[in-house]
Amino acid sequence: MTASDMGKPSRLNWLTSEHSLPWLLPASALMVVFGVYPLIAAVLKTLYRKNAATRREIFDPLYNWTKIFEDPRMWDALLHTLAYTLIALTFQLVLGMLIALLLDSDRKGYGILRAMMTLPLVIPPAVTGMMFLLMLNGSFGVIARLIIATGLLPVGYSILGNSATALPGVMLAEIWQWTPFMVLIMLAGLRALPKEPFEAAAIDGATPVQAFFKLTLPMMSKVIAIAVLIRGVDLLRAFDYIKVMTDSGPGTATETLTSYAGRIYFGNSDYPLASAVAILTLVLVIFTSTVFMRIFKVKL
Amino acid sequence: MELSRPWQIARDALAAFVTAIFMFPIFWWALTSIKPISAVFDKDRIVWFDFIPTTINYAVTMLGQSRSQLAIDAGIGMGVAGTEAYDSRSSILDSAVVSIGATAVTMMVAIPAAYALSRMAFRGRNAFLNWVLGQRFMPPIAIIFPLVTTYKWLGMRDTDNYYLGWLGLMLIYALMNLPIAVLLLKSFFDDVPKDVDEAAMIDGATRWETFCKIVLPMAKGGVAAAAVLCFIFSWTEFLLSLFLTTDIRTVPVKIQTFVTSTGNEWGFITALGTAAVIPGFIFILLVQRHLVRGLTLGSLKE
Repeated sequence: MTASDMGKPSRLNWLTSEHSLPWLLPASALMVVFGVYPLIAAVLKTLYRKNAATRREIFDPLYNWTKIFEDPRMWDALLHTLAYTLIALTFQLVLGMLIALLLDSDRKGYGILRAMMTLPLVIPPAVTGMMFLLMLNGSFGVIARLIIATGLLPVGYSILGNSATALPGVMLAEIWQWTPFMVLIMLAGLRALPKEPFEAAAIDGATPVQAFFKLTLPMMSKVIAIAVLIRGVDLLRAFDYIKVMTDSGPGTATETLTSYAGRIYFGNSDYPLASAVAILTLVLVIFTSTVFMRIFKVKL
Repeated sequence: MELSRPWQIARDALAAFVTAIFMFPIFWWALTSIKPISAVFDKDRIVWFDFIPTTINYAVTMLGQSRSQLAIDAGIGMGVAGTEAYDSRSSILDSAVVSIGATAVTMMVAIPAAYALSRMAFRGRNAFLNWVLGQRFMPPIAIIFPLVTTYKWLGMRDTDNYYLGWLGLMLIYALMNLPIAVLLLKSFFDDVPKDVDEAAMIDGATRWETFCKIVLPMAKGGVAAAAVLCFIFSWTEFLLSLFLTTDIRTVPVKIQTFVTSTGNEWGFITALGTAAVIPGFIFILLVQRHLVRGLTLGSLKE
């Protein structure tokens, strides 16, 4: 056997380690049983209509799908999901890039600052949500009181209790926790940049701002696209902060697709309808990520 | 870029200030956990350091002591009802067992798959890679409802059998961790030069032997990093545990039960919350070097 023959599948050895099957089987089994099977079951479930009175499920393929598309609450949830994703992503990206530029230095002490910046990443999001719930409390929360002290909000104002400010309040937790993700990735990108183009630009009299837009940004486009893709997918299925901070409220002011599905499920146990909203979330994620990957030619 | 001295000092100060802003919530959280209740709920001013520190919140959540007894001993003297709900020791056990178990399961299935993707040419390789990657994009909400039904049918819910409940969570966490683990491990295996194991195979070693004796030992730093990341992701997971379990309460799920209609138990919440972030803080410092690679599923290297 020569080196080039190795790894080629043969019908005789599929049970030995020379064949790829034994290597791939455990992972495939896990993905089929806990990924593919429940997904198919969820899709099939959406084809049934739940009778609230008899608690029986009747085959009625279009019932849930027409229902959710005529449901103003679903459209609100979709709008909240998209707004949450776009706004939080923009803040995280811009802040992340600025902070990365600030911390990209070999001077003493910057290494410690960069290490500290990674700490928010490992806090359970549910705990982060609770942190901000505490700090945003209108009567004793430290952030709320600082904002109130500036006169922007009236005394005792509850940021998470008012529908106008609840979603921005939740986003604050999201932005705080995941801006460091962007910082970390941007720093890796910045450190990998070649030095020569910047030296040449400086000799030609380019300002640092010009160098940033003409050199840094274009050379970092791949890194930025990967970071946006990974964060964007997580933002589209936002749940944890919303569940612990506002539980989709007040009313439905912070309801996203995922939290709406959860509310239907826990609320009136209409599994088929909840599944339809959940599958819609999946479709949204697949659609946006595919379009994004096509436009920006990203490959993970 | 060279800066003049005043500008350099300004930059250092700004860098320190921005980092401090990001550290503030963690600091405030830990500070609140040692405050007496009166200092947490002071409506007239923000209490910074002028309070007498207390360990009562940790004694109740971490040691399972009776809150009313502690209050009487401390001379606060208000007899408050039940402490059982705030004893979080079993939650910490649940989280630890499930996270360690999930990490073990993930590594057992991910390591062979990553090896095959790194070293073997087989039909459908790209399709398999995309399948793994697609798993990372799947919102957990899309699979959780049927899983609850299936677990109920199999008698695997925590209300049927506590240990099977642990197993059930481990398996679904393993699925959630699988894409990161497989792709990250593949990138570490790719870093091991191929000539080494190809030479061994020409000398008659089987793939299994080269894997155990060459590739795995040479990539063990990467394997450790992947395991640490899997542990952190399992430790912080919330949605799946919330939907799937009732008796088992992992820490993130437990902590939000302290929010009650009669008021939030901020002392206990912050004490448990502070304890819950410590393992993550220790682990993240261990894998600093591989963090970017892990978070981008192996596609960016530092």
